[in-house]
Amino acid sequence: MKKLMALFMVMILALSIAGCKNETITDQGKSEGGSTTKDNAVSKSSDKLTVAIWDTNQQAGLQEIMNDWSAQSGVKAEIQVLSWDEYWTLLEAGASGGSMPDVFWMHSNNSQKYIKNNLLLDLTDQILASDKIDMNHYYEDISELYAMDQKQYAMPKDIDTIALWYNKTMFDEAGVPYPDSTWTWDTLYETAKKLTKDDGSQYGYAINTGNNQDSYYNAIYAYSGKVISEDKKTSGYDDPKTIEAMEVFEKILNEGLSPNLQIMAENGADVLLKSGKVAMITQGSWMVPGFRDNEYTSENCDIAVLPKAPDGTRVSIYNGLGWAAAANGKNTDAAWSLIEYLSTKEAQLKQAELGVTMSAYKGTSEEWKNGVPYFNLQAYLDMLDATLIIRPYSLSTSIWEDMVNKELRAAWSGEATMKDTLIKIAESMNKTLAEE
Amino acid sequence: MMLRINNNKQRNAQFLWGWLFILPTMIGLIILNIIPIFRTIFQSFFKTGDFGKGNIFIGLQNYSKLFEDTEVWQSLWNTIKYVIVEVPVSIMIALIIAVLLNQKIKGKSIFRTIFFLPMIAAPAAIAMVWRWLYNSQFGLLNNVFNLDVAWISDPSIAIYSIAVIGIWSVVGYNIVLFLAGLQEIPRDYYEAARIDGASGINQFFHITIPLLSPSIFFVSVTRMIAAFQVFDLIYMVMTDTNPAIEKTQSLVYLFYQYSFTYGNKGYGATIAVLLLVVIMMITGIQIYAQKKWVHYS
Repeated sequence: MKKLMALFMVMILALSIAGCKNETITDQGKSEGGSTTKDNAVSKSSDKLTVAIWDTNQQAGLQEIMNDWSAQSGVKAEIQVLSWDEYWTLLEAGASGGSMPDVFWMHSNNSQKYIKNNLLLDLTDQILASDKIDMNHYYEDISELYAMDQKQYAMPKDIDTIALWYNKTMFDEAGVPYPDSTWTWDTLYETAKKLTKDDGSQYGYAINTGNNQDSYYNAIYAYSGKVISEDKKTSGYDDPKTIEAMEVFEKILNEGLSPNLQIMAENGADVLLKSGKVAMITQGSWMVPGFRDNEYTSENCDIAVLPKAPDGTRVSIYNGLGWAAAANGKNTDAAWSLIEYLSTKEAQLKQAELGVTMSAYKGTSEEWKNGVPYFNLQAYLDMLDATLIIRPYSLSTSIWEDMVNKELRAAWSGEATMKDTLIKIAESMNKTLAEE
Repeated sequence: MMLRINNNKQRNAQFLWGWLFILPTMIGLIILNIIPIFRTIFQSFFKTGDFGKGNIFIGLQNYSKLFEDTEVWQSLWNTIKYVIVEVPVSIMIALIIAVLLNQKIKGKSIFRTIFFLPMIAAPAAIAMVWRWLYNSQFGLLNNVFNLDVAWISDPSIAIYSIAVIGIWSVVGYNIVLFLAGLQEIPRDYYEAARIDGASGINQFFHITIPLLSPSIFFVSVTRMIAAFQVFDLIYMVMTDTNPAIEKTQSLVYLFYQYSFTYGNKGYGATIAVLLLVVIMMITGIQIYAQKKWVHYS
């Protein structure tokens, strides 16, 4: 009897633990049900909106702007911050289960997918009817990320560019002049050589292997290569120009001018700059608050424009988030009112002034620049005047980006040549694109 | 006659109350566990669309893809490696500590608390701390012992580094279960053995282990099941650009990738079904094998 009981208990346990796991697959939407009812109750009383974002650095500033809106409208807005991965898991679960936050950020990686499935509130009519909003005031490419078939599904929130961060102290020590607008990507390579110490205590440059937008994408497009074709049907990774640009990075890694892949995977380029391990990194404007609040970087580092290609083309990949609302939200009027307010010149100016990010509203960047006196933020603004390329995307961006990240490791670690790796990547990416 | 009616009534009432008491658990189990199990199996026959809409029935295609997918088999192998290290080592360490803690020593309850502490800490926090300990550049391990080991990014050792974290966090839980089991062993056996001249080690192998075998069996079965589902440690410690990820990702990690990063819930479900089958098989073997070594008094 006891044996039978034990057997039964164990089976139940095996099933229930396995069941817990399965539960997360099939019923993710439902298991979020607890929060559904809460949200509903909140929305029904119509005095509170839930807003979801993924960047802690921006929370304080955005809450301040939203409080201004609350003072006018009498509706509270509460910001929830999640990590990037959690954010998309939660949003997808919410979308499948019918309970998304009222207002949330959209990103070009996923916008097409959400729009296509009618999950985002169509803002077209409200924009036309609004006397506060004129779409001409925003960067078109960013508005376009959140539009489909002449309809607008999110309002542009911000714009970002990439620039070169460098450690002044290390440059002084080595007696090398600071980076300036005459630099090419080859100059970066040559300088990295001079700044690398043999004992591994200091490296010239660190490539952010986990993030394409702020590192190699910029060089690829400067060398007039591409990541994806105009019609988004084929991969650009086997383009000879793309390969040429990527081989610059191959050289940097193979010659040990950058920390090896293992160090990079464990730390990330920004941490290495903050801890005085590398002399140069390329980073997006959204990272400024992090470096501003760090004692070491605020004293030792500064910013310059990105290097250009040998033919003089300087490219910054740029991107911008959008403010979107749930199509099936309980309080879409209030949600639109908040988005409308966040898009006004007043709110966009404040976003820049508070140093949250550069704003998507044209002509507001000067305020952002003055936010941190000890960094040359002008470099990011100068990058706005360079050739701007919107961050490459398609319907299945996150699938092929992930594949590229994984495959590239062979080239970063020197197991395979960059050229062979890229050709393999292009094949795999073409397959994914064909299934879209 | 009256007596029998009363008896019947009482039995009925008991029956009713019995069911009433287990009903909440039953409902919870059915809604949260049993139904999802069948839905997962059902879903593994579909090519799922975005946001649960537009699922297409594709029969066994997910399964035929699974059998050819080397990534899946590598992940299964990684998971098995993790289990083989984590479960036996954590049981052995816990057993020894539990026996020592069962002696008359000073500060017993303090030690018990200390050993149980890792169990209370959030797994995410544990993983973050260990990630820093293991860091090849700034980590405590490499700096204190003057080593240059890439604990979590060298493909050949990363999975074992993660298993060490697993062992560390689960030992306390095993100790508590073993301590409970040790309380049940009558003192008389030890006294008799001592009179017969058995050494401490002999007592341990010939009295403690056989009489503790039901607890050891229970712990090894539950830990095995839990270890096969390792996810949070790997998810928190590894990043997708880590060169060791292929040699460390577990089946659940792979399932998460497919279901939530790539939005391919059908294939994710197929991986979950594979895991279910593997766990059932191994648990079945363990239950069969218990006849050989578990002594129920």
